Amino acid sequence: MAAPAMIFAVGMIGFPIGYAIWLSLSTVAPGADPVFSGLDNYGRLIHDPEFWNALKLTLALYAMSLSMQLVLGTWLGLLLGRSNAARGLVRTILVSPFMLPPVVVGMMAIVILDPSFGIANWLLAELGLPPGLWLSDPKTVLVTVAALDTWQWTPFVALIVMGGYLSLPSDVFEAVELDGATWWQRFRFVTLPMLAPTLVTAAVLRSVDILRFFDVIYLTTQGGPGNASTTLNILAYRRGFEFFDFGYASAIMVTLSTLVFGSVLVLAKLRRAVSW
Amino acid sequence: MRVYQLLGTIALSVISALPAKAQEFNWRANDGQSINLMLNNHPWSQAMRDLVAEFTAKTGIKTQIEIFNEEQFRARLTTLMQGKSPDLDVYMSLTSREGAIFEKAGWYADLATMIADKKMTMPDFNYEDFGASIRNASTFGNRIVALPINQEGPLFYWRKDVFEKCKVAEPKAIEDLMPAAAALKACDPSMGAWAARGLRGAVPYALTAFINNLGGSYATPDGKPGLSQPNTLKGLTLYASLLKDYGPPGALNHTFTQVIELLGQGKVAMVHESSNEFANIMRFPGRAQDLGVKVLPPGRDTKISKPVAIGWTIAVSNFSQHKPAAWYFLQWATSSEIQAKLIKAGVAPPRASAFQGSDFNTWVSEIPTRKAWADALIEIGKTGTGVYQSPTDRIPEARDIIGTAVQEIVQGAAPADAARKADEALAKLQ
Repeated sequence: MAAPAMIFAVGMIGFPIGYAIWLSLSTVAPGADPVFSGLDNYGRLIHDPEFWNALKLTLALYAMSLSMQLVLGTWLGLLLGRSNAARGLVRTILVSPFMLPPVVVGMMAIVILDPSFGIANWLLAELGLPPGLWLSDPKTVLVTVAALDTWQWTPFVALIVMGGYLSLPSDVFEAVELDGATWWQRFRFVTLPMLAPTLVTAAVLRSVDILRFFDVIYLTTQGGPGNASTTLNILAYRRGFEFFDFGYASAIMVTLSTLVFGSVLVLAKLRRAVSW
Repeated sequence: MRVYQLLGTIALSVISALPAKAQEFNWRANDGQSINLMLNNHPWSQAMRDLVAEFTAKTGIKTQIEIFNEEQFRARLTTLMQGKSPDLDVYMSLTSREGAIFEKAGWYADLATMIADKKMTMPDFNYEDFGASIRNASTFGNRIVALPINQEGPLFYWRKDVFEKCKVAEPKAIEDLMPAAAALKACDPSMGAWAARGLRGAVPYALTAFINNLGGSYATPDGKPGLSQPNTLKGLTLYASLLKDYGPPGALNHTFTQVIELLGQGKVAMVHESSNEFANIMRFPGRAQDLGVKVLPPGRDTKISKPVAIGWTIAVSNFSQHKPAAWYFLQWATSSEIQAKLIKAGVAPPRASAFQGSDFNTWVSEIPTRKAWADALIEIGKTGTGVYQSPTDRIPEARDIIGTAVQEIVQGAAPADAARKADEALAKLQ
C-alpha cells in the first residue's frame, strides 16, 4: 500500500535533493557533465566574503520579517477574533495581499517606491516629510524588503492566529475576567501561552518562505545596491545563471536548504515544548 | 522510333538538369517542419511576432515563439542548453557578452558551413553586408555562431529646449558634461540634470565611452586589468561623479527602463542611454521635437570617440534536430527585405544595405531627431567597440565587478581604492 507513496517521495523529492547535493560536490562547466570535486565548493564558501555577507543578510531579513509578521499578525488576529463586525469582509480584504503573485508585488514596489517617480515620496512631500531612498540605499534596502514581505504576509499570520484564538475554550477567559485580571495579564498569562502552538505553526510556515525569499528582491534590486540585498538565494541565482558557476551555486543552495530544514526542526521542537 | 528518340532526349535532358537543380536554393526545402524559438523581450522580438507568419507562408516551416524578460530568458536558456535540450532550435544571444562562454560550452551550431553551402543559403544572402564589429563578435576562429539582428550602442540624448532656456551650450567635449550639469541644476533645480545606468551589471555598457574618450582602457598594454590607470580612473570618476552629484535619487538601481522613463517624462535634461530605446523615447509627448541625439562627445584633448557598438544576434542551437529549418529562419529574419520592415519598429538594421535603402532614408527624413539618431548609429557602426571589460572569458562577472566599482565611488569610496579593488578581483578572472 505504501509503495506508490514511496515511489513518489523518492522520485519527486529525493531525486532533486540528491542531484543538487551531487552538483554541489562537482565542478560543472557550461556544456560539460559534472566532475566530482569533493568538498571543493564548500571550501570556497568558507573563504568567500560574499557568501558570509549573504548569510548575514538572509538571517537579518529572516529575523526582521518574522518578528514583524508575528507581532503584527498576532495583534491583527486577536482584533479580528474579538470583533464580529464585518468579519467576512475584513477576511476577504486580508486575504488579498498574499493572493498576489510575487511579480505583481515586486512591480508595485518599483512603481511606488522609486525615489524619482514613485508615489511614496510624493505622498511624503505632500505631508511635508523628507523623501526616502527605500530600495536604492544600502542602509534602507533590507528594511524595505522586510516591510514589503511583512505587508504581504502579515494577514496570513493574522488569519492563522484568529483561527487559533476562536478555537480556544471560552470558559478560561471568563474565569480570568471574573478574577479581575488586567488586559495585559490576560494576554501575557492566558492568551499568549494558549496561542503559542498556533504561533509556532505560523512561524514554521513563514520561516520556510522568508529564508527562501527571492522573487521580490530580484525584481526590485537584483541584490543591490552593491550587495546590500544579496541574500543566499540571490547569490546562488547570480552564481548559477549569470556567471554559469553551477557547482558553486548548488553548494550555496544546499547550505540554504540545510538552514531551512534546521529552522523547521528547531521550531518543531519548540512546538512540542509549548503544547498544552 | 521517333517517339522513343523523343522520349530518350527528354529523359536525358531531365537527368542532365538534375544536378544543377539540386544545387539551387529552395525556400520550401523544409516545408512542414516546426521550429521553436526563444527570444529576449526586445523591440526586434515584438516585431518578429507579428512578421513571422510571412516566414511560414514563404517556407512552410511553422514556428513557436517564446519571449521572456532578459533575466528569465537567460535563466531558461541556460537550463535548456545545459540539459542539451533538442526542443530549442533558435535563440537570441548577446555574443559580445556570453559568446565566448557559449562557444566553449558547444551551444552554438556552426553557421559558416551553412553559409558556404549554396543549397542551404539564398543567393543574395551577402554575409559581408553586416557591420564588421558585430560580425567579429559572433566569429570564433573559423566558426560563425550567430547572425546580427540589430545594431545598438549608448547615445547622448539632451533636451535642446532646456539647454536653450538655461543658456547652456551643447556639450562638444566630454569634459563639458560636468559644467553643463552644474549650470542646468542651478538654472532649474526641479529638473534632474543627468541620468545613466547605475545597476552594476548594466553600468559598463554606458561607462565605456567615458573611459575610452578620456584616453583610458579597461586593460593595461600587457593585457592585465587596468581600471587604476590614470586616464581610465578619470573616466570612472567622471561617470560616477555625474551620477552622484547630478543623477536622480535611486540611480544605483537604475537601468535603461528607469533612465528612459525619466527622459520621456521630461524629468531629466541629459542622459547617456541605448540607441535601441529611441522608438520608446519618441512615444512620449514632445520628445520628438525637443530632443537632441548624438554620440557621446569626444575627449577635448584626446579627440577620441569610441563608444560601445554591439548587436543582439540569433543563433541555431547545436542540439536542434531541425538545423536546416532553423537556418532558413535566420536567413529570412536577417534579410534586407525583413530589416527594411523592422526599421519601422525602431530596430536599427545591422546590414549596411538597409541603412542605405530608400525605406530607411524616407523614414529617417520624416523627423530631424530621427535623422540625428540614424547619423549617430552610422557613426558608432564605424567607431564603436564590442569590448567593454578587461580581457577574460568570464565577461558577465567582469562587468559586474566594474559596475560595483562605479557603485562604490557613487557611495563615497575613493575612486583609486575602488579601482584597485576591482583590478584585484578582475585579475582572478583571467
